[in-house]
Amino acid sequence: MNTAAIRANRRRLLILTVIVLFCAAAYMLVEVDFSNPRLFAYAMKLRAPKLIVMLITAFSIGGASLVFQSIINNTIVTPCLLGMNSLYTLIHTAVVFFLGSASAAASNANLSFAVDVVLMGIAATVIYSWIFKKTKHNVLYVLLVGTVLTSFFGSIQTTLTRVMDPNEYDSLMNTLVASFSNINSEIIVFSLILLAAVIFALRKELALLDVLTLGKEQAINLGVDYDRCIRRLLLGVALCIAVATAMVGPISFLGLIIANLSRQLLKTYRHTHLVLGSALFGMIVLVGGQLIVEHIYSYSVPVSVFITVGGGLYFLYLLLTRKKV
Amino acid sequence: MVLLLVASVISLFIGVIELPLQELLSGNLHLWEIFLVSRLPRLLAILCTGVGMSVAGLIMQQLCSNKFVSPTTGATISSAQLGILLALLFMPSSTLWTRALFAFAAAILGTWIFVWFIQRIQFKDAVMVPLVGIMCGNVIGGITSYLAYKYEMTQALSSWLVGHFSLVLKGRYEIVGLTVPLVALAFVFANHFNIVGLGKDFSRNLGVPYNLVLFSGLTISAMITASIVVVVGSISYIGLIVPNVVAMYKGDRIRGTLADTALFGAIFVLVCDMIGRVVIFPYELPIELIVGILGSLIFIALLFCRLKYGRRAIRLGGTGTGCCSAMPGLKGGAEQ
Amino acid sequence: MNVQELKKQYDGKTVVDGVSFAIPKGKVTSLIGPNGAGKSTVMGMISRLIAHDSGVVDFEGRDIGKWKSRELSRRLAILTQSNSIQMKLTVRELVAFGRFPYSGNRVTLEDQKIIDRAISYMELEGFQDRFIDELSGGQRQRAMIAMVIAQDTEYVLLDEPTNNLDIYHATNMMKIVRRLCDELGKTVILVLHEINYAAFYSDYICAFKDGKIARFGTVEGVMTKENLSQIYQVDFEILTIAGKPLSIYY
Repeated sequence: MNTAAIRANRRRLLILTVIVLFCAAAYMLVEVDFSNPRLFAYAMKLRAPKLIVMLITAFSIGGASLVFQSIINNTIVTPCLLGMNSLYTLIHTAVVFFLGSASAAASNANLSFAVDVVLMGIAATVIYSWIFKKTKHNVLYVLLVGTVLTSFFGSIQTTLTRVMDPNEYDSLMNTLVASFSNINSEIIVFSLILLAAVIFALRKELALLDVLTLGKEQAINLGVDYDRCIRRLLLGVALCIAVATAMVGPISFLGLIIANLSRQLLKTYRHTHLVLGSALFGMIVLVGGQLIVEHIYSYSVPVSVFITVGGGLYFLYLLLTRKKV
Repeated sequence: MVLLLVASVISLFIGVIELPLQELLSGNLHLWEIFLVSRLPRLLAILCTGVGMSVAGLIMQQLCSNKFVSPTTGATISSAQLGILLALLFMPSSTLWTRALFAFAAAILGTWIFVWFIQRIQFKDAVMVPLVGIMCGNVIGGITSYLAYKYEMTQALSSWLVGHFSLVLKGRYEIVGLTVPLVALAFVFANHFNIVGLGKDFSRNLGVPYNLVLFSGLTISAMITASIVVVVGSISYIGLIVPNVVAMYKGDRIRGTLADTALFGAIFVLVCDMIGRVVIFPYELPIELIVGILGSLIFIALLFCRLKYGRRAIRLGGTGTGCCSAMPGLKGGAEQ
Repeated sequence: MNVQELKKQYDGKTVVDGVSFAIPKGKVTSLIGPNGAGKSTVMGMISRLIAHDSGVVDFEGRDIGKWKSRELSRRLAILTQSNSIQMKLTVRELVAFGRFPYSGNRVTLEDQKIIDRAISYMELEGFQDRFIDELSGGQRQRAMIAMVIAQDTEYVLLDEPTNNLDIYHATNMMKIVRRLCDELGKTVILVLHEINYAAFYSDYICAFKDGKIARFGTVEGVMTKENLSQIYQVDFEILTIAGKPLSIYY
């Protein structure tokens, strides 16, 4: 790789980082009363966890989406097609349904998060390993089954909500809509540890990403244990998405936008750069979007809806400019 | 065929008996009224839905020569929903008919755009087509929910997001009857659809105007879908599963399979509706949920079948010459 | 490399039925045969891309399935027909991937030298910073070969390397194959459709028919009128040009 291109990419990533910092600062400081130190401290205390959660979400979704695209060898897919979002809502609903909203597992935010993520991890591992075995590691079919599972989980979830007590339904809906409020600092620590664990467990596979983009046969030719590697990476992706979803609820299309923006800007195959770029873009989109939602729309429209519409249009643009998919 | 018909008639009456007793029908006027106002419309609506959705799916699959295309995976349903929302927004006092008009226009437009899209793009794998369709559907759904949030219509919208028959009453369901002439039209042009499905050059060679047939076929299936969405709400998967199951047994010639598809679709919806009414007995579950659960399981089973037994189980766009593969020429017929 | 009683079934249909042969070291061996004769499947099985149902692929004393993939990739390289690379990748970066089995993602100084040599061997210096998807079919194929050279394996397996190339580029490709064997001392196995290329540029020919080996031997031994007519079910004439038997079919 010629060093000039690497340097150019480093510069681009640096600029992105600066924009992220700017967005973060703007988010923290816009419309804050500096004159009153107590109000200032209160605003900081309110906004800081939200900001951190957005940054973590952006990182996990950005990284996971990019890795996912490289595994599938297709840049117009996003891991939300795997059905992770609806699996999460199903699990969350099921916990409330079977244990009741007053039980410790549902009312305690920490415990609820832990239960959700653990259950989700187990379910994802079992279900997707099974799908992999059944489809003989044909990734496209895994994807198709995933989209079907999305509606399967969704249907069961809606069925449960129809059967459940209206009061419990209310308290459930409050926790399901993607928002960045009601964040607990212990959850942040917990999810950070989880993400770090996933990255650590997959460090070998992550190093293989560059080779995987050459396609299955070339990867095998170069000595990669393809099936195992793909399976482990996909599970990692699932867990990352699980963490992000458990923290803020489902956001589709975010991954698609930021992974592609990163690819367009950096024009490289090197995943160290791409993943970083994708995560940074994610932070800009999320923090910037939340800024707009809070201060221009004054919370009337959730940020996830904006991202879906914007991401959707970007997706259509990508389709039109590309001849082969 | 006869067996299927008999079975559907029997299951019809089981469904009807649920609340009013069959024996009392002989004289009781009140029960007759219930029967005519609520039971019969529901029955007809169920039949129309089953027939309409599965035929719409079959037409789309033929035209695109891709077994995974259907109103759900082709942006039709979500566009129809957007159309209804627009009608509610701009004409709050609109009747069912104006809403239906909006839904028609939106569904037709959405389907056209989707097919135009997938014609422009070369797909490496047939599975990509439904994936793109689902994403397109998400985009349109996103716009719908944006508008709904903005004008605080999420409540009103939700009844069109989950299909159910419980609101089907006399005077509210007649639009669904539009499926009958449309399905009849589909019967008439079945051969044309088959030819167009084999590719642009192929149909030109036989003197069939490709674009005209393609887009009028899409229009028919979009209108069927939209008329069902207006009355019942969205019901996914029927258009996807029913034609595939039938094709497994009957092959791909649309003329021969159209009737079977329609019949089987009707039975499938009937059975799902009965399950939905029995499970939590005094109340009922929307049909969309039952279809969603059963349908996705069946679909996954079909997929695994196909993977296990190769191309015999579900013949994917194996000819490779349809509009979705956008490959000119007829060389795709050779199996790998 | 020694292959014994290799079998493969797809959907209950036997595609490869009890194939046994030994690949002569340091020579060019071509696998030929009609469509569906099983030659590409055999190629896939001896390169571990496809798992075999039964039989043995003995590679240097061990079955190919028992080798560690990484270790194998330093001794055997396979190039298949489907090389659609999506990523923005320059020629030099592609060739650098040939060093992956040795050094992973870190390209050492020595690797750089090997990459340089591979690029100049394939005369790609002028293209090395161009993106793969901007190249013509012939250039792309040469870049892939350069990667295989950088991979520096004893065995090189090529699945229809002349596919989709015009006469000029296809002939050049075959000359390169010959040089890989003669100059670099590699054992080359390739699947070919064009029998005259096989006859002119290889040392041995292995002819398949209906999942079995119909003939295996030196070029002169296999390229006879009777053999070819029997394998391909059309009439053949054999001419001798430049000391090599070439065929005409009609």
